Amino acid sequence: MTDPTERTAQLPKALAGDADAVRPLPGPHARMMAWFLLSLSFAVAAAWIIGPRPDLSARLTDTFFIIETAAAVLTSMMAAAAAFCSGCPGRPRWEQFVALPFVVLWIGSLGFGCLGSLAGWVENGGQWAMDLVCFPYIAAISSLPLLLILTMIRRLAPLAPATTTGMATLAASALGAAALRFVHVRDASLMVLVWQVGSVALLTGIAAALGKTVIRWPHEARQHRLIWSNRQTDATQQQ
Amino acid sequence: MRLGQTGDRDAYESLLRELLQSLRRVVGRQWHRAEDVEDIVQEILISLHGVRHTYDPERPFIPWFMAIVRRRIADAARRSASRRMHEMNVEILPETSADEDAKKKTEGNTAGEAADQVRHALSSLPPAQREAVELLKVQGLSLKEASKKTGRSVPALKVMVHRAMKSMRRTLE
Repeated sequence: MTDPTERTAQLPKALAGDADAVRPLPGPHARMMAWFLLSLSFAVAAAWIIGPRPDLSARLTDTFFIIETAAAVLTSMMAAAAAFCSGCPGRPRWEQFVALPFVVLWIGSLGFGCLGSLAGWVENGGQWAMDLVCFPYIAAISSLPLLLILTMIRRLAPLAPATTTGMATLAASALGAAALRFVHVRDASLMVLVWQVGSVALLTGIAAALGKTVIRWPHEARQHRLIWSNRQTDATQQQ
Repeated sequence: MRLGQTGDRDAYESLLRELLQSLRRVVGRQWHRAEDVEDIVQEILISLHGVRHTYDPERPFIPWFMAIVRRRIADAARRSASRRMHEMNVEILPETSADEDAKKKTEGNTAGEAADQVRHALSSLPPAQREAVELLKVQGLSLKEASKKTGRSVPALKVMVHRAMKSMRRTLE
């Protein structure tokens, strides 16, 4: 068996032998813009296919509607930038939290709207409307942007995998939530806060928990693939 | 690294060699066993190689390199802590044999001779059986851990170890 020090000394030569030319990844901001433009086109197309809400032109003159939607879109853009930055070694750590002010603005603007609708909600007996349509709509509108961003982040270094996948999913689902406002008639901020933001938080949490499975160091990913192929061989042999 | 990204193997190799010494120093500050230091240094070099496309030639190299080093050292510490949780200290070693003659014969051998015999018996095994024995009996992994590492099922590993022990016993007799 070779001495470990000797093995380490041989490693640079072995790795250099495998060092084909690689194209450096474009900067995180360029990648964010590319993802956002493609995803926005999809979200607009999806909203158009589902059908714009009947009162859309009236809503577009409502300041609260504009602020809430803009905050969701900015959350999406900044979360995508945070996801791309978190997988580039050597970048400042604050970049990973760049979406937070926009998340606060988004939830804050919805929360402010809630105060207005709270009195009416109490007068109506404080009934919770089950608005389960939000989740599948957000999931459907976010599907392609999510698939796209997950493909893009797989080439990043897994320095903070939970942050990377969590922020990537927040980006896609916040865009879905923003697009939903153009097709879905429910505007009571309390319902939007609970069902739309709740759906986004649920998707983000699931993705963050799966971070280490989604992004791995390339040699560990290869090992993982080998393990699966060995399992398949064992299963076939046992049959 | 810029040259390495363009496929200049010589430049890349000399960069990795230069990094080796500082890596050993950095890792050695936190890990004291030479074997651990070498393992972690190798892990860092392989990780760095796998993500070399994430280096932006417009940005300084050291922060990029150190971010990978810190991450891999933290990963190694986490792995080591989880391994320690599954280990147990044994104060009294088990008897080698109940039979006095056999015991004398076994203990009469020097440790080196016994180790050589076991090594020889191990090396005569087929590769898959040898791997199973090394993981389960030498490194002391659980069946579940060994199954995760090799991708083989727990029953398959049990069969392999059983067969391996049988043929090692024959070789040692």
